[in-house]
Amino acid sequence: MAYLSTRNFIEDKDFVDKWLYTMRTGELDLSWMKAATEKVKPHEANPRRGLTYRDLDIGSYGFTDIPEKVRSNRSYAPRGAEVPEGAPDAQPWVSRKSEVWAFNTESYYEEAVTRQWNVTTDIPWERLDGVEMPETIGKALSQLMTFLTEVEMIATDTPAMWLPRLSPDFIEVKAFIASQAMDEARHTEAFRKRALTTGWGLMKASPMNEMALKHLRDADSFSEMSVALHLVGEGNVLTLFRFSEYLSPTDVDKRIFRLVMQDEARHVGYGMQHFKYVLEHFPEKREVLHAHLDEAENISFAGAAATELTESFIILAGGGLKKENIDEGIKVTTRFQLKQMEEHFERLEKCGMPERKERSKLYQMFEMGKAAAEMAGIKLN
Amino acid sequence: MAFYADKDYTQDETVLEAANQVMAGNLSLHWYDANTEKIKGKPSDLRRGLTYQDLDIGSYGYSAIPEHVRTSQSMVARGSEKWGKLPDMGYVVNRKSDIWSDNVADLYEEDKARRWAPAVDVPWSDLDAHPLTAEVEAACAQLYTFLQECALISLDFPSRWVPLVNQDFIEQKSWMCAQMLDWARLNEGFRKRALYGGAGLKRACATAEQGLKEWSYAETFPQGSVSINLSLGGFMLALCRHVAAFAPSKVDHALMGYAIQDTARQTSYGLGQLRYFLKHRPGEIEAMQEYIDETEHTMLALLGSPELLEPLIIISGGGLEKDQIRAGRIATSKFIRLVTHEYFERLEAAGLEGRSKRSRIPGIIDRIEVPA
Repeated sequence: MAYLSTRNFIEDKDFVDKWLYTMRTGELDLSWMKAATEKVKPHEANPRRGLTYRDLDIGSYGFTDIPEKVRSNRSYAPRGAEVPEGAPDAQPWVSRKSEVWAFNTESYYEEAVTRQWNVTTDIPWERLDGVEMPETIGKALSQLMTFLTEVEMIATDTPAMWLPRLSPDFIEVKAFIASQAMDEARHTEAFRKRALTTGWGLMKASPMNEMALKHLRDADSFSEMSVALHLVGEGNVLTLFRFSEYLSPTDVDKRIFRLVMQDEARHVGYGMQHFKYVLEHFPEKREVLHAHLDEAENISFAGAAATELTESFIILAGGGLKKENIDEGIKVTTRFQLKQMEEHFERLEKCGMPERKERSKLYQMFEMGKAAAEMAGIKLN
Repeated sequence: MAFYADKDYTQDETVLEAANQVMAGNLSLHWYDANTEKIKGKPSDLRRGLTYQDLDIGSYGYSAIPEHVRTSQSMVARGSEKWGKLPDMGYVVNRKSDIWSDNVADLYEEDKARRWAPAVDVPWSDLDAHPLTAEVEAACAQLYTFLQECALISLDFPSRWVPLVNQDFIEQKSWMCAQMLDWARLNEGFRKRALYGGAGLKRACATAEQGLKEWSYAETFPQGSVSINLSLGGFMLALCRHVAAFAPSKVDHALMGYAIQDTARQTSYGLGQLRYFLKHRPGEIEAMQEYIDETEHTMLALLGSPELLEPLIIISGGGLEKDQIRAGRIATSKFIRLVTHEYFERLEAAGLEGRSKRSRIPGIIDRIEVPA
C-alpha cells in the first residue's frame, strides 16, 4: 500500500546543496513569483457574512468554471495554482463535476461552519437532575437513542470514505463532506450521552436496520452514495427527528432534536441539490440512480419492520403501555411512517424525478398504507 | 454495487408480518429488558457540561475497551446489547494500541469548544486598509499556496482511516471527524487569505507533495499518524507560530492564531498516539524507528523546498532588500532548527529513544550557515 516519493530528499545531493546555498548566500530563485496564475481581488459581498467561498468564485479560482471533467490537475495543488512538473498523482476516483457537485455547495459548507454547536455545553444537561421518567418512557427513550447512536456512525464512515477519493479541485465539496462527518460525530455523541443519562443506559441493537444501512457505505459511485445517504437515509431520519422532537419527554430532548435537525436538514439540502445537479448535467445517470433507489428504498422497509425501533416510538408517542396509550401511539407512528414516505417522494419529484412513483415498490406501499390509515380514521396532514 | 442487504424486505412475508403485528398493537417488547448496564451519567463540573470523560463508566467507558476488539465488527454502539444477525463492516483497525491516545476524549471536547469560522473570525478588510508591499504579498500568496497543499493532505488522512476504525472507538472516530473539519477550515482560511491579498495563488510544490504523499500513504495507522499527526502537525505548528511572530498584517496574525490552536491539537494527538502505541507494543519500537528512517526525508522536502523557504525568508525579513533577506535568513534558520529540535524531542518523549542520534537530518541541519 505504501507510496514511495520519486526522490529521497536526504540522499538528493542537488536538493540539499541548493537549500544550503540559498541559506548561505541569500540568492533566491524567486521563479515562483512569476507563476502563471491569475491575479484577482475578491471582496466581501456582504460584510456581515464575512468573506465566503462564493466571494472567491472568480476566474480560474472559482467553482463556476470547474470543467465537467477535471483533467488538468490530479495533484494536491490548490485549484488555480500553477502545477509544476513532478507533482504526484493524488489518485482521485471522482474527477467529474456532476458526480459530486450541488447547487449552493459552498453555502451549505459556510452554514455548517457557522452553525457548529457543542453537545457538551449547548444541551442543558443539568436540567435532567431530579427528572424521573416512568420506566416505560425511560426505556423507550433509551431504545430510540440506542438506535440513533447506532445509525449515526454509518453517516460518519460513509462521507469520510469518499472524501479522499474526490479530486482536490472540488475543494468546496470536500469541505462540506468534512463538515458532515463532524456533524454526524456530534449526533452520535448527543444520542449516546442522552441514552447514558436516562438511568437505563443503552438498550438493544437493531440488526435489520444495520443490515439495510450497510448498503449506504458500499455504493459504486458518489452520486449513488449520495442519493442513498442524503436523500433516503437522512431524509428518513430528518422526519424521524421532527416527530421525535414532538414526542420528546423532556425539554432537554426537545433541544437535542432541534439542534440535530438543523444539521440534518443541511445534509438533505445538499443531497437534493446534488441530485438535481446530476440529473441536469449527467442525464445518462438517471437510470443508474433509479436502480440504486430500488435497493436503497429497502432501507425504509427495514426501518418500518425493525420492531425495537417501532415499538419504542409507539410507546413514546402514546405515553405508555396501556391500551389507550398504544392505540394513540400507533396513530402517531402511522402518520410518521406515511409522512416519511410522502416526503421522500416529494423530494425526488422536486429534484426532477417525478416518475419514481411509478416504479417504486415503496410508493405502492405508501398508497396502500395511506388508504388503510384513512379507513382507520388516521389523517396524514 | 458492493453490498446488498441480506433480504429484499419488500418480498419477505415474515418482515411484513412483524411490522403488521406491531402496528396492530401486538408489541413484542423484546428489547424492553435489554441485558445492559443501567447508569445515569451526570456532568462532574456544570461549567464544563457533560463530557465524554463523565461517561467513562463501566461497560460504556473507553477505559474498559480491551486491547483486542474481537466481538464487535458492526455498527452496534459500545455497551448496547448485540443480538441477531449483524453486518460485518470490514474494520481493519481493531487494536486499541493502533489508534488510541490517552488524551483523545479531551482533544475532541476541546476541538468543539474552540470552533471558529474563517469567513467571519478573521478581520479580512484590514488588508484593504493596510495593504502589504507587492513582494511581501507575493510571498504570502506563495506561503498560503504551500499551506493549502499541507492542509489538503492532512484532511485526506483522517478521512481515509475513519471508515476503517472499529466503531467501539467512538471517541477516537469522533476526534478524527473533528480533525477533518479542522483541516477543511484551515484549508479554507489559507485559500481565502491567499486570494484576498490580490496576488492570486502561486506555484504548488512538487517536492513537498511527493514527500507528503509518501507520509499519507503509510501502510499502518500508527505509521501514518507519526507522519501526518506528529511530524506534519508539529511542522505546521512551528510554521504557524513563526508566521504569527513575523505576521505582516493583522489578518495573518489572526489566522495563524487559529491555526496554532488547531495544529497544536493535531500534534498533541500524534504524540499521545505514538506514546500509547510504543508503551503497549514495545516489540514494535525498532520497526517504527526503521519506518521513520525510511520516510523522514519528507521533513527535508518540507523545510528545503524553495516554495516554502523563499517566501518564509521574505516574510521573516520584511522584504527583498539585502538586509531584509539577511534578517529573514537568520530567522528562517532558527525556525528550521526549532522545527527539527521539537520533532526529535517529541519522538523521544514518546518513547523512541536516541532518535536524534540515529537520524541523518541533524547532520544536514548542522551544515546550514548564515554568514555575518
